[in-house]
Amino acid sequence: MSPSVEPIISIDHVSRFYRRGIDEIHALDSVSLTVQPGRFVAFMGPSGSGKSTLLNLVSGIDRPSSGEVIVAGQRLNDLDEDELAGWRARHVGLIFQFFNLMPVLNAVDNVALPLLLTKLSKRERLERAEIALRIVGLEDRIDHYPSTLSGGEQQRVAIARAIVTDPDLIVADEPTGDLDARNAEAILNLMRQLKNEFGKTIVMVTHDPRALRFVDEAFHLDKGLLLEGEEAARAHESIVIAAGGGSVRNR
Amino acid sequence: MKYAGLILANLGRNKLRSLLTGGAIMLAVLLVVLLLTMPAGLDAFLDQIANNTRISVHNKAGIVYSMPFSFTRKVRQIDGVAAACATVWFGGAFEEEGRVTFPSFAIEAEHAAAVWPDYNIDPKQMADFLRYRDGAIVGRQNMQKYKWKIGDRVTLKSTIYGVNLDFRIVGEMPNDRSPLFWMQRTYLDEAVKAKRGTGLSMAGVIWVRVDDPNRVNAVMRQVDEMSRNSEAETASETEKSFFGNFFGSLQGFVTIILIVTGLVSLCIVFIAANTASMAVRERSGEIAVLKAIGFQRKTIFATLLAEAMLVASVAGLSGVVLAIAVTKMLRAFAGWNPSLGPLGAFIVTPTVIAQGVCLSLVVGLFAGLVPAFGAARKPVIEALREIF
Repeated sequence: MSPSVEPIISIDHVSRFYRRGIDEIHALDSVSLTVQPGRFVAFMGPSGSGKSTLLNLVSGIDRPSSGEVIVAGQRLNDLDEDELAGWRARHVGLIFQFFNLMPVLNAVDNVALPLLLTKLSKRERLERAEIALRIVGLEDRIDHYPSTLSGGEQQRVAIARAIVTDPDLIVADEPTGDLDARNAEAILNLMRQLKNEFGKTIVMVTHDPRALRFVDEAFHLDKGLLLEGEEAARAHESIVIAAGGGSVRNR
Repeated sequence: MKYAGLILANLGRNKLRSLLTGGAIMLAVLLVVLLLTMPAGLDAFLDQIANNTRISVHNKAGIVYSMPFSFTRKVRQIDGVAAACATVWFGGAFEEEGRVTFPSFAIEAEHAAAVWPDYNIDPKQMADFLRYRDGAIVGRQNMQKYKWKIGDRVTLKSTIYGVNLDFRIVGEMPNDRSPLFWMQRTYLDEAVKAKRGTGLSMAGVIWVRVDDPNRVNAVMRQVDEMSRNSEAETASETEKSFFGNFFGSLQGFVTIILIVTGLVSLCIVFIAANTASMAVRERSGEIAVLKAIGFQRKTIFATLLAEAMLVASVAGLSGVVLAIAVTKMLRAFAGWNPSLGPLGAFIVTPTVIAQGVCLSLVVGLFAGLVPAFGAARKPVIEALREIF
């Protein structure tokens, strides 16, 4: 029996409601899950299933209506907007579907952006940014602006930006959603590499069935509920078939 | 300071817009500074002549009416009068220009030094002024404008008496803002006598210096009492009051200038605020991402406000520098303007410079405040929801 390790993510009976006019939208309904450190997990499900809402809660971008979110030992429910921002800067690296780089900054300055929130000197910030770009294989593109980079390269820069602060958790929202098949595979490979070589915990929201070949675990959501048992197995099976086979543990 | 690169990069993303916004602020500051030099010139002029013991005596009906020249002698006999000097408006113009471009007066040369000791005219030059009947003492502003030097000869035509007189410049009033031109009364008197058969028997304004500031009111009362029931009753007033009244009609103009200045400032605030709002709106996605990766509200607010303040302050300083250059040119080319008086002095005082710089900072502050606050205040989840 392996020694028990404290989960890096602990979601306990978390619900998230939104008000839209007079309607109340139940984006998440009493979801509970845990993720162990060093795991690469995916939240999957159709549009409106609540996977992005769950990702926002895990990354400290949003707060739950009820329930408890503990990430990297911090109970996020207790933090206000600015405290959450500070916490994200220290503990979370974010990757977006559309890369969302600053068009006016070159690659190395984009990567160094989160380091502005640290006490590092300019030289140290640039050194670290160059190391991050080397890790993602873009050491020869440090002076390039986003407009001169391909989609795949831009997403690599975004990944470098996410890892440059050496966060506990990397959170990716549809990181392959705007990429062609070849680039999508390359990005998933890179994320897998970050997990294997640097022990990073990665949580990803994706529609991409190919992702199943790269992640350690997939959580399936539908209509705000975390699927379990038979329902989860069916959802997983349909994705595996779409991906052309695979061997990923599902929830 | 570490955000300077980000701020500058953001300003450079739309160089044309930044330049146009900066240009608009610069021109507004230039205009405001130029306008403010007018009331500042009037204030400086009136302040310069405040607290002295000089009084003016002129016809009660107005300064265009004259008084008997002989009245000057009576004034000198009043107890407390240190000196008195009768002046006559010559209205000198260059033949080719045909219009008055600086104020010229025929004065009693022998009394000038005693009435205007504060003009600090070189005693040797004053002596030359007395020695040469065609001598002239000229304000430094004119000397510089017309590139005259001591010893030069100048011909002026009187727009009042229709005589052409040649002058020898024998001295200068060492004041950069002085547009005056003094000649000997006797020289004009002879010329008028030669032309009309009768000489000057009148005085336009008699300037009087009182020996003690506490006796100024008493002397004024006595002068006016002495002329009561005569053909030319007088009205005496302090020099400050005289010029204040003389330029009183300009006060309305000054008020209009100040209103225009206020409106220009308001316009530029709206223009700059609109531009800043557009810039922030365009970048709402990037701002949302900055928040998501950990930038706190105060940091977002400060960097956005700094952008607006930087554009405005650089533009404002450029506007002030440009205004200083333009006023120098205006002073050099426009010189003394009889209708503008001290308003046309275009003096950029430290106060005016400070007002110009403050205006640019206020423009930057108000232009940046609302969009920066709006962008910073929005919770990260709402900001992200708007872009994804």
